[in-house]
Parts: sequence; C-alpha cells; structure tokens
Amino acid sequence: MAEAVIAATPVRDPRRARLGIPPVSALLLLLIVVLCVCAPLVASAGPDQIDPTHPFAAATGQHWLGTDEVGRDLLSRLLYGGRLSLMVCAGSVALAFVLGTVWGVAAADRGGWVDEILMRGADIAMAIPQILFALVCVAAFGASLLSLTLITGILLTPSSARMARSVTIQETGLDYYSAGIAYGAGKIRLLSTEVLPNIFPALASQAAINAASAIILEASLSFVGLGVQPPQTSWGVLLQQGYGYLYNDPSYALAPAIMILLTILCLNLVANRLSSPGARRAARRAARGGRTVRK
Amino acid sequence: MVRYLIRRIAISIVLLIAVSMLIFVVLRALPGSPVTARLGTSQGVTQEMINRLTKSAGLDRPLASQYLTWISGILHGNLGTSYFTGQPVSSLIGAAIGPTLELTIISVALSVVIAVPAAIASARRPGGWLDGIITAVSSAGMAFPPFVAGIVLIIIFSVQVHLLPARGYVPFLTNPVQNLRDMILPAISLAVGAAPLVLRYLRNELVTSLDSNYTRTAAGKGASEARVLLRHALPNATLPSLTMIGLITGYTLGGSVIVEYAFGFSGLGALSIQSAFNRDYAILQSVVLLISTLFILVSLAVDLMSWRLDPRTRGRHG
Repeated sequence: MAEAVIAATPVRDPRRARLGIPPVSALLLLLIVVLCVCAPLVASAGPDQIDPTHPFAAATGQHWLGTDEVGRDLLSRLLYGGRLSLMVCAGSVALAFVLGTVWGVAAADRGGWVDEILMRGADIAMAIPQILFALVCVAAFGASLLSLTLITGILLTPSSARMARSVTIQETGLDYYSAGIAYGAGKIRLLSTEVLPNIFPALASQAAINAASAIILEASLSFVGLGVQPPQTSWGVLLQQGYGYLYNDPSYALAPAIMILLTILCLNLVANRLSSPGARRAARRAARGGRTVRK
Repeated sequence: MVRYLIRRIAISIVLLIAVSMLIFVVLRALPGSPVTARLGTSQGVTQEMINRLTKSAGLDRPLASQYLTWISGILHGNLGTSYFTGQPVSSLIGAAIGPTLELTIISVALSVVIAVPAAIASARRPGGWLDGIITAVSSAGMAFPPFVAGIVLIIIFSVQVHLLPARGYVPFLTNPVQNLRDMILPAISLAVGAAPLVLRYLRNELVTSLDSNYTRTAAGKGASEARVLLRHALPNATLPSLTMIGLITGYTLGGSVIVEYAFGFSGLGALSIQSAFNRDYAILQSVVLLISTLFILVSLAVDLMSWRLDPRTRGRHG
C-alpha cells in the first residue's frame, strides 16, 4: 500500500529501537490498564463510598480529583470505571479477532463464491453506521454487560475479517505457501503455523483499531444510557453523570473524557506502529526463530 | 460507460435491500415483542390489552409479511406509526431530518475547509516542522470521539467563557443567526475527528504528485512553486481524495447520533436513541435504514463522480 510508505511516520530513535524499549504509546497504555486493574490498590476510597457532606469537593490530598455529587471519590470511580470499559473492550476485541480471522482466512482460502458471499456479508454489515447498528442491537438484545460485549465484538468482526482476508491473500500468493502445498502439507496446518504468524502484526494492528472503536462504542452507548447501567460504572457512565453537572463541576466530565482520549490516542499510535513495514519485518524475523535474513 | 453505471447502481440497490433485511431481522431476533417489553412490567395490564396492541401494530403476523408491509409502505411513502404514541413515523422523521442534514453538511464542509489548506501546507515540505506539527495535531484530533469533543467544547465555550450555546436547535428559517450559533460547536465536534481523515489522505496524494515527473517538468519549465502545487499537483491529488468525502460523510452521520444527543438537537440521531430506549421498532428500523441509505447514496454519488472526473479510475471498473 503506497499510503504506508509515505505516511508521515515520526522519525524514531534508532537507539530506543535497538535497546528494545517499547514506544511511549504502548507504555502509557500499559500504565492505564495496570492502574485500572489494580484500582483497589491505587484508589484511596471505594468507588461507591458516599460522603454527602462533601459533594463536588475540589481536588485535595485525599481526593486527587475531588468528589462527585454525593461525595464519592472521582479518581477511584475513574479507575473502577476503567475496569468495566477495558473489560468490554478486551472481550469484544478478542471476540472480533477470533471470529474475524476465521471469517477472513476462510474467505481468502476458499475463494470463489464462498469468498464472494462472506465478503458481501461484511459489506452489508458495514453499510450501517456502527453506532446505529449498535442501537438496533441494544434495542433487540438489551443492555447487560455481557450483551454489550457480544454486540460490540460482533460489530467489530467485519473489519477484522476484511483485514484478515486481504493479508491472507497476499501471503498465500507467496512462494513458501505454494512450496508447502507442493510438499503436501495440510492447508489447516500451513495456515495456522506458517501464514498466521506472518499476518499477525496486521491482525494485531486491526485489533488495536478495533479496541479504540470498542472504547468509543461503550462510551457512546453508556453516555446515552443504553450501555453500562448505573450503579455499575464505566467511563461512558461517568461522562453521562458528569455531563449532568457541567456547570457545577466541569472537571467531573473532563476526567473520563481525558481517559477516553488518552486510551484511544495510544491505541491509534500502537496500531500505526504495528502496521508499519518495520513491524511486519520484525514479526517475520520472530516467526523464523529470530534469525535475521540479510539480502 | 452505461454498463458501469447500471452495475454500480444495481450494487447499491442490492446493498440497500440487504441492509433493510439485516436491520429487520436483528430487531426481531429475540422472542418477545416490544409490546410485552413495554407493558409486561407495569401493573394492571391484561393479556387482552397486550393482544390488542400487538394486533394493531401488526406484530402477530409472520416475519416475512411484516417485512413486506414495511418495505411496500416505504415505497408508498408510508412508514407506519409509532407502536406507542401512534404518531406517523414519516412525520416524526420529517421533523427530525432537517437538523441532521444541516449538521452533516456543515460538518463535512468544515472538515474539507480545514483539511485542504492544512494538507497543502503539510505537503510542501514533507518531514518539515510544519508537517510534523500538522501530523501531530491530526493524530490528536483522530483520537476524539465526536461527542467527547462536544463535551470538551461545551466545557470551554459554554461553561468557562459564555460564548456559545450548549444546547438547543432553532430552525434556520425561524432565526438564521441563532441557528448558525447553535451549529458551531456540534459541527466543530464532528470536524475534529473527520478533518484529519481527509487531511492525511490528501497530504499523501499531494506528496506522491509532487514527487512525480509531470510536476518536476512543470517546475523545470519555470512554473512557480505555488503554481506547481495548486495548478498541477492539487487537481490530481484531489480526485482520489473524493472517496474520503464519502467516508467522512458516513463518519459524520454516525457521529452525529450521539453529538445530537449531547447538544440537545431533535434530529434523527436523537430520535433513534429515543426509539431504541422505547424499543419502538417501527421508528428505529426506518430511521436506521434512512441514515444507512443516505450513506450508501453519498458513496454511490462519490464513486460516480470520481469515475466521471478521473480517467485513472475507469481502467479498473470497465
């Protein structure tokens, strides 16, 4: 793809790359995840611990981000909320990864009318704006945490399938694949042990993009009250609650907004990196057992 | 030429039919009608009442027959009535479509107005400091879900400095000034994420054009830098970028659903959220189909336009 070659990729520090230091975006993402997962250790108060005498308290040493309308600690609600948001995100991305890969690889491998039907199916699903499709699904299946994860996962599947199909077609056109077939290797084996490691960076990049979409979908649905239902808390729920008190305490809504933005920004940057040619070469090297092939 | 036209239009029609079936089937995938979902929990509802409502909404008939009624109704301009309020769906949509269309058009136009000069500035010196800044800003912009951008903008422009309204929509004909003031923040919210998409694509196309022989020839023959950029490179780079307009229209139509809710617009997005809440399938299915249709039509128009204007695209499609 010409786009990838001339895209404005910031110049990367070669020393960092040689030392194997992960990029800042990945580290920041890891930090967000660790903070949310370890919320009970980090937060000073429980997310539901109310203190009606101190509503909308300003930031203090005890409440780093202040408190909400009933005096709950905002930082701990933010971290606990992140757990649910990230959980929905992780579950749906995993689902989309598995379903999408099977869908796409099957289409690429079978070709012909199977390919045609599978890919037109993806086209149809993608012709409906994601959020509206999500509304339709929520109206039909309800808004529990499980259904939310499943719905988001299924919504993200067609884009994964498209990506999996296009990279699989590229790979199976290469000589090593034909050689494998000529040697009599089974197709399933070839696809899973030879092709899959090679297409993995592309699939992972798509998964990172999907993760960003999942965060957006969860936040959107929860924001309008059709996603995670209070008293459960997620970033979208916090946005909705903060949105109700914009004039009392703007930082209430700003905090979840910033978490969502940071997470999406990091995911986008990670996705860019994974889809860059360098990452693909690195994956190939790793798949070959770390040997570097010099031309 | 006619063959391509017919083929492309036929694909869109098939896509539309498939989309309508998909929406219809998903909404009815689970047993239990919206009537029981709505009335089932309230007190003093008799089975007889449920039956009557179900029958009046036509929910007791087989799926295929319900689907055909819906589709033939659409073709006759009759979208049925809301399951609960009994209002005709077409008048609900008619009242809501104005704000959505206006917002979409303004946002797409705004995105283009931001993206084109930025892309030109960026492509002049690829890898230069300006390119770096623009790339960084556009990466940040792409991370903004439109409604989150909207909330941040409300906090800045309505809560901190009382400059622009945070909520509301006044029709253009009633009060043009107020209408445009209402549009500013939502339109920017949508453009924040949409403009970078156009910007990146156009920038890359421009860099490719500026690197090719014909622009070098033009420069060699003494054309000024501005002339090479604007008269030689830009037209060639713009045509492939037309597809991005279709793409950001879809992005904007989707994004406006939640943005409308955040800004208190009574548009199609707000209507679809309301009907999803009420499980009012009669409204929801038609609104979602309408927005998907708009998206499919815009894609079709963009495809046909770039096919007409850009000879390079004709080789591939016949």
